[in-house]
Amino acid sequence: MDLDNLASLEYFYPEIILAGAILLVIVLDLVIKNKRVIGALSILGCLASLGATLQLYSGPSGFLFHRMMVLDHFSLFFKIVALAATILVLWMSFSSREVASLHQGEYATILLSSALGMFFMASATNLLMAYLSLEMVSITSYILTGFLPRNRRSSEAALKYLIYGGVASGAMIYGMSWIFGMTGSLDYSQIHAALFQGQPNQLALFIAFVLILAGFGYKIVFVPFHMWSPDVYQGAPTPFTAFLSVASNAAGVAILLRFFFPGVSQLGPDGSWRFLSGVEWPQFLLIVSMVTMTLGNLSALGQQNLKRMLAYSGIAHAGYILMGLVVLNTEGLQAMLFYIVVYLIMNLGAFLVVVLVANATGKEEIDGYRGLAWRGSAVPAIAMAIFLFSLTGLPPLAGFVGKFFLFAAVIKQQFYLLALVAVANSVISLYYYARVVKVMFLDFPEASDGRVELNPGAATLLGLLSVMTLVFGIYWGPLVAFTSQSLQFFTK
Amino acid sequence: MQAPIEYYLVLSAVLFAIGVAGVVIRRDVIVILMSIELMLNAVNLTFIAFSRFMGSVEGQVIVFFVMTVAAAEAVVGLAIVISVFRFRQTLDPRDMQLLKW
Amino acid sequence: MSDPFFPVLVLFAFAAVVVLALLFIAQTVGPKRMTAVKADPFESGNPPQGDARIRFPVHFYLVAMLFLIFDLEVVFLYPWAVSFRRLGVFGLVEMGIFLLIVVIGFIYAWKKGALDLD
Repeated sequence: MDLDNLASLEYFYPEIILAGAILLVIVLDLVIKNKRVIGALSILGCLASLGATLQLYSGPSGFLFHRMMVLDHFSLFFKIVALAATILVLWMSFSSREVASLHQGEYATILLSSALGMFFMASATNLLMAYLSLEMVSITSYILTGFLPRNRRSSEAALKYLIYGGVASGAMIYGMSWIFGMTGSLDYSQIHAALFQGQPNQLALFIAFVLILAGFGYKIVFVPFHMWSPDVYQGAPTPFTAFLSVASNAAGVAILLRFFFPGVSQLGPDGSWRFLSGVEWPQFLLIVSMVTMTLGNLSALGQQNLKRMLAYSGIAHAGYILMGLVVLNTEGLQAMLFYIVVYLIMNLGAFLVVVLVANATGKEEIDGYRGLAWRGSAVPAIAMAIFLFSLTGLPPLAGFVGKFFLFAAVIKQQFYLLALVAVANSVISLYYYARVVKVMFLDFPEASDGRVELNPGAATLLGLLSVMTLVFGIYWGPLVAFTSQSLQFFTK
Repeated sequence: MQAPIEYYLVLSAVLFAIGVAGVVIRRDVIVILMSIELMLNAVNLTFIAFSRFMGSVEGQVIVFFVMTVAAAEAVVGLAIVISVFRFRQTLDPRDMQLLKW
Repeated sequence: MSDPFFPVLVLFAFAAVVVLALLFIAQTVGPKRMTAVKADPFESGNPPQGDARIRFPVHFYLVAMLFLIFDLEVVFLYPWAVSFRRLGVFGLVEMGIFLLIVVIGFIYAWKKGALDLD
């Protein structure tokens, strides 16, 4: 299916609904003063869009808008991930005191715009669309990072993010311009054809790919494009940090996979991908993956601020996710998709607890967590323990299953060194995750530590996320089926 | 007479390198933002050159979008610069040390 | 010397020589008598008032930024106008939607008071 503009609209409902919701929210924001209405309306818009996305999942695949975008299970999977993250983050924002002080209408509008950008990132099959969608997500992220009024940390974080992001995306579009020069097209399938038929200059191709990788890499946060992440995670409003850590990461993986797999490599008969020759991509990615996870985990060890610690742990997890890319086969990709879903659940959960503790004590440092289990409700402490152990990868939690699939894919292709480094990293990460758990359960609270209060909305969300973390650790069949079904690229 | 495409590519590579160098070594946020703009303009030059030599319009279309994105980025950047400037009466990134390793 | 641009090169060289020569002559031959009036910064014949580097209200930046954005949105009207006949009604509707979104942004900025110049 290769549709023109008018015919594409029929398969474009999720985006249209989301765009409509954005416009509606920003107009109503001028009229309605009730913050709850705006928030509820945004969630409603996301849910409607989610419904439309799920409906398309059982429908046909094809190119939309003269091959600018593609509709296939892979793009729909990442749209579902982006929407799920947006809905959960909006829900989380209701209980955040930090966000309550912000301008709700603008906050919701920009968050939804970011989600819309992620939609386009997931489905772009044209370099123009890829660049535009990535910038749409980036620019909305800069704004939301600096969104806390009269907060110096937030503004400076936004500035750092903007400078890093500007350079990374500038490098990316420069790489894209070289690809355009070598192939004469911006369309992925034509680039694919031109690169495999012609004799492109290997050095130029390598430089172009590295430049493009800079743009994608700063979204996925892997070394050496990770420098912005700790500062930005610490400075941004916490619910948005949560959004950034899961959704932006996932969208980056989506655009990377779409470009590198159907874009510039070929699927062999045995389910493995043959990458464009000339560069040892598996070796290259292997090193990036190992360095990323090691650096993330080692830097996380000394952190006192929980948001910063989770930022470094996010870098480490980006390294784990990259493991699936190293093996260059379907199994690895499926493990990546699985891990993205699992990471979304457990990381959002951990950030929700950070929000709750910050509400009660105004603190993000680890001493704000002293004896959390004995201050008011014990639920946040128990949930946090579940999320952190799941992030470590301990059974019987979802994180263990996710890591198991990644390790299995890597070991099957005999990348023993990578598997060994990853296991060593998991052990290191246990230290800093367990430190938080120890502080929460074994230390005694001081009289000055505020009691953590749990409103019904936050309690429901916390319960939902921890139950999901537990359930996917024991009964992962449906999620595996969903991810393997989602690994379908439309390339004809 | 038409200049060969290499001239354009070298010029744009030089411009891009100047932009990157500006981001790395300059100590004023406004100049850093200008350097990022310079990088994007180098990209535009590459696209236009390729597009002219290959006789396709795709490269020219993307330039419109790059320009718009550059403007959006500059606006957001300036807004952030103003909000940073409120706290510190300076735009030297070395003074922004609230967030460090 | 078959290059058609050679005369232009000659012109440039000639211009450069003339400019440099004039500067050199003025520098060496001309008398130098500096007075207080001559040393003053020239401001259209009026006596200068205050420092040239005053701070502008942030409001001006806001207007400038809004101008930058809306100015570049309009860039997309040009290619559309060129191919208007080929695009037909569909193109018209598409551009209508595009402009609607821009106008909503404009209304938002307006209502928020970003355009009040007092």
